[in-house]
Amino acid sequence: MEDKNPLSPHIQIYSWHISSLISISHRITGIVNITIITLICFWVAFLFLGNSNYEIIQNFFGTYFGKFIIIGTVWSFSFQILSEIRHLFWDLGLGFELKISNITGLLVIFGSFVLTILIFTLGRSLIL
Amino acid sequence: MINATKKWIFLKISSVMLVPLMLWFLFNLVSFYDKAYDEILLFFTSQPTKFLFSLFIIFAYFYSALSISEVFEDYIENEKMKNVANKLLYLFAIIIPISTLFLLYKLSL
Repeated sequence: MEDKNPLSPHIQIYSWHISSLISISHRITGIVNITIITLICFWVAFLFLGNSNYEIIQNFFGTYFGKFIIIGTVWSFSFQILSEIRHLFWDLGLGFELKISNITGLLVIFGSFVLTILIFTLGRSLIL
Repeated sequence: MINATKKWIFLKISSVMLVPLMLWFLFNLVSFYDKAYDEILLFFTSQPTKFLFSLFIIFAYFYSALSISEVFEDYIENEKMKNVANKLLYLFAIIIPISTLFLLYKLSL
């Protein structure tokens, strides 16, 4: 059966606003996050290979690139958390006014960096 | 209730569940990522972290599969291609978490 649903306009059609930037970033970080979670699943699988093989992973996380990946992961998840909270408020019918929507959009962008710093600082001080 | 409404409700329930689970996982991730094998193994295999991590990946894949299928709905015009993409996506979202949970519980034995 032929689908009569209209397609969304492709992203190059839009002129850029905070709302479109957040919307597209929300989708991109969503795909990045599930890729990261899949890598974390492989990380769990790697534990099965034993202590001697695990040194490869530990050495990787000891490098600057490894740390960059972890900080990038925290930022990507932080962005998704704040953007998802913004969506949940919209679902309750709150925050649709243009001015409020722009303010919450900016809060998501800047808040994601603040949350990244907070999680990294507090998380590193946690003792397992 | 139509399917789109059910999908939306499931998406919202999973997103509400995921927010605290993501925060919990991030705090732990930054505290243990560079630790030695034994400490990482202990984290993934002891309770309550094993239970919370299991919930985290189940909800994460459930939420992602529903969200990504929305992206397919918006941007893939060809119905057959969209169906194949959705089936592959759902297969992936079932196999990866189930395999991980299986390994996780084997590691705990």
